[in-house]
Amino acid sequence: MSSNNESIGKTLGVVVGLCLVCAVVVSFAAVQLRPLQQANKIEDVQRNILAAAGVENVENVSETYNQVIDARVVDMNTGEFVDTDPNSFDFTMTKFDAERSVALPKEEDIAGVQRMTTESPVYLAKNSNGKYESVILPIQGYGLWGIMYGFVALDLDGETIQAIKFYQHTETAGLGGEIQNPKWTATWEGKKLPIDVVKGTAGNDVHKVDGLSGATLTSNGVENTFKFWTGDDAFGPFLAKVREGALN
Amino acid sequence: MANSKEMKQVLFGPVFANNPIALQVLGICSALAVTSSLKNALIMSIALTVVTAFSSLFISMIRNHIPSSVRIIVQMTIIASLVIVVDQVLQAFVYATAKELTVFVGLIITNCIVMGRAEAYAMKSPPLMSFLDGIGNGLGYSVVLIAIGFVRELFGAGALFGVEILPLISNGGWYQPMGLLVMPFSSFFLVGIFIWVLRTWKKDQVEAKA
Repeated sequence: MSSNNESIGKTLGVVVGLCLVCAVVVSFAAVQLRPLQQANKIEDVQRNILAAAGVENVENVSETYNQVIDARVVDMNTGEFVDTDPNSFDFTMTKFDAERSVALPKEEDIAGVQRMTTESPVYLAKNSNGKYESVILPIQGYGLWGIMYGFVALDLDGETIQAIKFYQHTETAGLGGEIQNPKWTATWEGKKLPIDVVKGTAGNDVHKVDGLSGATLTSNGVENTFKFWTGDDAFGPFLAKVREGALN
Repeated sequence: MANSKEMKQVLFGPVFANNPIALQVLGICSALAVTSSLKNALIMSIALTVVTAFSSLFISMIRNHIPSSVRIIVQMTIIASLVIVVDQVLQAFVYATAKELTVFVGLIITNCIVMGRAEAYAMKSPPLMSFLDGIGNGLGYSVVLIAIGFVRELFGAGALFGVEILPLISNGGWYQPMGLLVMPFSSFFLVGIFIWVLRTWKKDQVEAKA
């Protein structure tokens, strides 16, 4: 029997048959589980936006999100709201869409994002009376090892930081990974733009934040990410409008 | 042929007597990477056990029809398909953990334990025994991972399954976590200690001096 196994016909037959069976199994799993996975992804982003808005440990994430958060889209050049569907943005993919993004010149690309979307979602958090309390901006930038993804919540004055949350990163656990440590992110609260990340000398200066010890490159990455996303290439024009009271 | 004593041997032998990590020193990389918390270690253990068990089962079922010239490719195809399915299931049901495990689930494909059992056992043994052998080796891997995950999370973060056991100084308690244990390479020491303890207990595992 085994001598038969070595014939070319049998070899091809086994390999093709196996590939077909495996392909069917893998496709079936991928297609059947996709709705659950996408729901998970959306819920994960919503949970992080809520966390940036100061709402944590909620039972029903999407319900709370719909109550508290207004998702809008702004044009990066004019800073005006536009009618694009905020759910059409996938932070990791949209910037590779040539029609919806532009390449950044290297000297302006301090956050290492390479391409910049022409529009971006922003999230407006409401209090229980339906009044806006904060505006939450998605940010991303290169740390030491890879892109750090986060949200920053600003007051309606367009310059006071309410919270900063990184939800995805590849920094070293225990060192750069401490960008997620609530104790560190708490030191950002109440600081005002523009922000410098310094080494242990921030004190009560509202424009300075202490970096993470042992993680200078990550701290620099956070500073650059911040400068970039609040600057003219990104949310600068929008924040200028916010400062003029566009959300009051 | 497959009497219950042999089955027991195949199933529980790899846990201590013939542990894939401690004696055969296979699958070390993932043991270093995913053991910073007990939950990750547990999910990784389950994922690897499932993949090893079912890949051994399927390979054993078609073992008499696998041409030896392409047998490694056939094994890899089966293993890779199972890993993709497991990865998809994790992303669908335990998304937060799947995010933390990231590439390491995918890297089960290259985990030497899975491949090693397929080549060394499943190619020669009937399906039921191969399935048990896969579970047994998965258990052996799990024992080491869970032991390391337990130590690393308890002393590195003062918690187990994310629940605080040793109150941290930063939260007003007394325990200063050991930062070293958070780093992946600390598992080298822990795997070493595990092997040391195991070989002190089971002296026959000590290699003869050359």
